[in-house]
Order: sequence, then C-alpha cells, then structure tokens
Amino acid sequence: MDVDPRLYEQIAVNDNDIHNIVMSYLVHNCFKETVESFIACTGMKQPSDHLEDMEKRKRIYQFALEGNALKAIELTEQLATNLLEKNKDLHFDLLSLHFVELVCSRKCTEALEFAQMKLTPFGKEQKYVEKLEDFMALLAYEEPEKSPMFHLLSLEYRQHVADSLNRAILAHANHPTYAAMERLIQQTTVVRQCLNQEHGKDGPFSLKDFLKS
Amino acid sequence: MGGVEDDEPASKRMKLSSEELRRLSNGSTIKETVAGSSGDLMARPLQSEGGEEVVGSKGVIKKVEFVRIIAKALYSLGYIKSGAHLEEESGIPLHSSVVNVFRRQILEGNWDESVVTLHNIGLTDEKTIKSASFLILEQKFLQLLDEEKVMDALKTLRTEIAPLSVDNSRVRELSSYIVSPSYCSSVRSPKQDTLRARSRSKLLEELQKLLPPTVMIPEGRLEHLVEQALVLQRDACMFHNSLDKEMSLYSDHQCGRDQIPSQALQILQAHNDEVWFLKFSHDGKYLASSSNDQSAIIWEVLETGVSLKHKLSGHHKPLSSVSWSPNDHQLLTCGSEEVIRRWDVSSGECLHVYEKAGLGMVSCGWSPDGKWIFSGLNDKSICMWELDGKELECWKGHRTLKISDLEITGDGKHIISICRETEILLLDREAKVERFIEEDQPITSFSLSRDSRFLLVNLLNQEIHLWNIEGDPKLVSKYRGHKRTRFVIRSCFGGLDEAFIASGSEDSLVYIWHRGTGELIESLPGHSGAVNCVSWNPANPHMLASASDDRTIRIWGLNNLSRSVKQKEPPSNGIHYCNGGTRD
Repeated sequence: MDVDPRLYEQIAVNDNDIHNIVMSYLVHNCFKETVESFIACTGMKQPSDHLEDMEKRKRIYQFALEGNALKAIELTEQLATNLLEKNKDLHFDLLSLHFVELVCSRKCTEALEFAQMKLTPFGKEQKYVEKLEDFMALLAYEEPEKSPMFHLLSLEYRQHVADSLNRAILAHANHPTYAAMERLIQQTTVVRQCLNQEHGKDGPFSLKDFLKS
Repeated sequence: MGGVEDDEPASKRMKLSSEELRRLSNGSTIKETVAGSSGDLMARPLQSEGGEEVVGSKGVIKKVEFVRIIAKALYSLGYIKSGAHLEEESGIPLHSSVVNVFRRQILEGNWDESVVTLHNIGLTDEKTIKSASFLILEQKFLQLLDEEKVMDALKTLRTEIAPLSVDNSRVRELSSYIVSPSYCSSVRSPKQDTLRARSRSKLLEELQKLLPPTVMIPEGRLEHLVEQALVLQRDACMFHNSLDKEMSLYSDHQCGRDQIPSQALQILQAHNDEVWFLKFSHDGKYLASSSNDQSAIIWEVLETGVSLKHKLSGHHKPLSSVSWSPNDHQLLTCGSEEVIRRWDVSSGECLHVYEKAGLGMVSCGWSPDGKWIFSGLNDKSICMWELDGKELECWKGHRTLKISDLEITGDGKHIISICRETEILLLDREAKVERFIEEDQPITSFSLSRDSRFLLVNLLNQEIHLWNIEGDPKLVSKYRGHKRTRFVIRSCFGGLDEAFIASGSEDSLVYIWHRGTGELIESLPGHSGAVNCVSWNPANPHMLASASDDRTIRIWGLNNLSRSVKQKEPPSNGIHYCNGGTRD
C-alpha cells in the first residue's frame, strides 16, 4: 500500500521555489534559449552573467562528449584559467579522451607519442599508474573495441568525463555543481526506498511508476 | 633445475626405420629424417621395431625413456661427449631433430622461425602451442624494446601477441613497457649481450616446463626419480635414527637395530634416594635430574661422557620435576607441594624462590620467551609469575591435580595440565578457550612433542596414548608393553624427528617403540628398580637417559662399544666412553 497521498497534499509549495528548481536544471544543462523563454514567461529575475558563460560551457561539454578533448581543453583554459591545473584528475581524464580518439582512428604512432609526452608525466603519482596502464593496454590491440578495456571507448565514459568537466567549471565560478532538481529526485528516491522497506514492500522505488500514479 | 648451459648437439642422421618410411609416405611435414624414437609425437606410445622394449625385472621401465633420461642426466652433468655417444650408440636421440632445430633457434634468437617450428613439433594441445608462442614472442618483443625499435615492438604486440588471447594482464604490462621504458625491468647495460643470451637459456627452460615431457625431458628428471626412491626407503625404515647423508645409492637403506640406543654406557650415581625425574636441556648439552633426596643435579654432557656439574640443594621436600628455561641458562625445580626454585645453570646459584602463602606448588614450566613462570598449585589452580616473583595471573578452579605435569606450547598460547582424573586441559590463555582430552582411564603423566602438536599420555592401565592436539584432539596411536601399577611412570618422544617413543616401567626396563607403527623395538634391562622417567637427548638421537628407584641414572647409547663403566663423584675418576655420533 502506498503512503497515503492525503498526508502530503497539506503541504504548501511555493511557486518561486518551483521556478528556481526548474531554472537550476536548465542552467546546469545549458539550455540557453529555454532559460530565456522561462524567464520571460515567469517574470523571474534574470541571473547575471549566466547566459554568456552558459553558451561557452555548452560548447565545451559538446566537444568533450564528442571526444574532441583538445578543443574542450582549449576552451576551458580560456573560460576558466587554472581550472585544469587544480583538477589533475579531470585533466588526466580529458587527455585520455584524446588518446582514445587517436587509438580509435588507428593512429598508433601518434597515440604512442601523445601518451609519452602528455600522459606518462602523471605516472609519477601512484594513483594514476593503474589508470595509465589501463589506457596503454589499448595500444596492444588492433581492435580496441574487443579488448578488455573496451569500456574506455564508450559513450558512457565520455559522458562521465564531460559531466565532471561541467561540474568543475560551475564550481570554479562558485555556482552549485549539482542541479537542485537532481538532488531532490535523489533524496526522494532514498526516502521512498526507506518507506517501502518499513511497510514491508519489496522491490526498489520506481520513479516512473511514481510519476504515473 | 640445472643452471648448466644446455648445448646438446642436433641428432645425427640415422637409418630410417620402417615407421619413419610409413610416416613420410603419408605426407608428413617433417622434412628431415628422424631416427626412430618416441620423442617426435606426444602421448601416443610408439612401437619401435619389434614392439615396446622394456628394461628392469618388473617390465615397467620403457627402454627408450630410460636411455633418454640417462642422456639428459649426462648432459646436465657436463658430459657432452658421453651424452652424444650414448645417443649414437643406442640409436635413441634425446630430442627429435625437429626439437633440436627448435632449441637451436631459441638459443640463437630466431624467434619467428622458432614459432613456425613449434607448430611442426606435432603438439595437439592448442593451449600449449599458444602459451609457448606467447613466451617466444614476448622475448622477441622485449628484445626489440632493448634495441629501441619501439614501433616494431608495438607491431609485434598488436599483431602477434595480443591475438593469441593468452594472459591479458601480461599484455597490459607489456604495453606499459612501450610507453615508459623505465617501467621495464630489463637493465640497459653494456653487458646487454650476456643478459640477453642468459635469458634465452632461461626461456628454453620455461618452454621445457611448458611442453609435454615426451617432447623435451624436464631438467633433473633422473635425479628426481632417485630422490623419490631414497625418500621412500627412508620412510619405510623403522629403526631410522641416523642422519640422512648416510643414505647410499648402493644398497637399500635400512637402519638396523644398532641405530637405537640399547647399551648402558654410563651409570650415574649421585643421588641418595629414588630419582624421580630427569630431562635433557633443549640444546642437549645438559641433563637435569631430581630426586626424593630433595636435591636436583645438573649434569654436563661432554664428548667424554656425562659428568656432574652442580648439585642443587635447598628444597625441603622431594623434588617432583624440573624445567629448563627456553635458552637453557636457567632451571626451575619444584618441590612436592612446596616451593619452586629458579637456578642459574652455570653457577649453580639459586636466583629466586617462588611461593604462595598457604599453598604448595606441584608443577612448573616456562613461557617460550623465558619471561614468565607457570606453576600448578595444590589448590588446583595455575599461576603465572614474572621472573622477579610478581604474580601476573591465576586461573582458579579445577585446572590441575596434585600430581600433574604442566606444559606450555611453543607459541606460548596454551597451558596443558591434568585437570581431572581422566581429563587433560588444553587452555588457550589468550582466547580463554578450553579444550579437553578425555580418556577412559586415569591419567598419570603426559609429555609434549617438540613441535607442540602431539601429546603423549600415560594411563593407569599401562597404555600410552598419542594424541594430536591441533584443533580438536584426536587419538593417533597406542603403545603397550611396559608395566605400571603403583607409581607415576613417564614417557617421552625422541630420536631423529621424534620418531620413537620411550618409557620407563615398573619392571625396571626401559621400553622403546616405533612411533609410527606402534611396534615395540627394545626393552632394555639394567636398572634394579622401577624406571620412573626417561629423556631422549634432543641434540643426539643416539643418547637416552633413564631415572630409577635404584637411585641411579643410566645413559644409554649405541651398542658398538666394549665397556660401560660405573660413574662416581667427582666425574674425573674412572674412564668412561660415550657413543660416537653426537650431532652438534
């Protein structure tokens, strides 16, 4: 039995809060035009320099997602100097994206040289050694998609790196790194999970079902 | 495995046997003529002309295998000419010519050709072929890196090694060597050639291990077979009490009874009353005995015999037992329901007296690090003291009896004592866990093996039981034959690897059993009273000591000497012989 909906219908929800939540989502994901329309429709206060930066951030994210890491790095340097220096993990991940590109386009010599110049310096620190070895192993296979490290070539991996980059840029500009919407959904899921357990219901919480009900 | 450089010559051309002609006509790929041998193909046993030849009386040794192993052994010993001669004379080559070609190619570093040859050897197991190819190509890869031909090395890795799908984690390691040569373990030194050459024979050894033994005979095979036989002989030897280097290949090893101490070499008369207890020190250089005459004696074991070192007086009660400190520098003596004294062995001085108000001690023992003293008391508790006498712990309750031994295991964790008439307590003092040995008969004494894994338990009904005390105690063996009716009789482990059990007996004989089979080997007459206790010298498997109600101690040794002499105080009088084979 689901928790009685009547219990939470009593709670008042502020319109402004909802607008802010929606806005945070749009801003985080760089939906510039939607942001402009939303502001016009709701009469919200316009966020200061969000828009221009949003455009730049969007482009950076796209490049990273495509695997064009060098372009992404270049633009990031322009937008937020020293960001990559301070986020070595991220820097490594981005460079590795480029390496993967070279490997996928079967440019072995270039890939090897790039790795020797840019990636191996990270190897001085123990925590990068294993990651480095993972990537280097890709060189050994003529068909890297069939190697044990094939997940490094996947869209999911690039998405993961692009997301990290996005968050880093937001953090650099002192903006929240997570959209409020995302946080709320995460929290709801956990709470629902606990309630389900307490009432002895099996199975994880399904957001989809909840939204339909 | 042999470190000798392997450079066996290729087999010579031999007359074709009918078998070879048959194979060649079947379109076999082997171009070179090969002498008739079973070495070319694996598992399937080949029929040499006239069927499989065997040697040896039981008909289980195949002649071809026998000769090949001998040839291999000759080469390993460095007798190249003899080895080649044997191959020629017998017509049985050590390796088929394909294999010889393969070996040469490996040693010369012709990697690509060797991989091809590998496929021609005729192995059926795909996995073996792949693993062997992997090893060879890996060597090729490392060599290319050494020569700084990085792109060639990468090509080898990508096109030859990785597709084998063998050992992906090694592939990973090899990739990292390309990128950063500093990861690579091979050292860039001017001695590069010697390094690589040496590693090629190592590679050959590795390949040898990988390939079936019919193709390439493993290193040291003959030596291994001989060792196996020797070990079996030694294990079967019941009186085995001699050092292993005395085993010879010329005849089957069998110790005779003469390896067991059976002759009284010395009779030590220094106590004024019944001798109840005795024990050799851990290093076998001293013997301590204790008596009803309220004294203990420390004897020194010398080349010339056992002589009295110190007489320890001070107790006012008969001494029930003694205990050597782990480093043998100190001795504890226990008076029956009295006190415990700690003595310095070299000076004979009493260093400390341990007592507890209103109670008497019944047994004593040391912790393995020599820092603490344990004792059973006549209120059935067990106490632990620091050397200076400060009491650290006391386990109350039914922990021990008025007449009981006390032992601490070698790891210092367990205290062993007789806690009830038919029960022995194994107390884990850290984990506070108790285990028990339950017997049907009252227990009179026990003895702990040197490795602390076994306990020898003497029972009222004249049986001695051997228990394994690791984990749950399990009864392993029983020994019978000696006599016990009224007194506490003690037994002990002894001999080489503690392979024997010895015990005293009320019929004044010393009994010796073979531990493994339980068979009674010796019963030694000589004492004129009950033999209360025996101790076998831990450092000399040929020396046994026994203590008796007849007030004497007898030192037993090997039966190859003409005289045994009475021993009087002081020891320098009289002549005494000692058995020859003292171990250091």
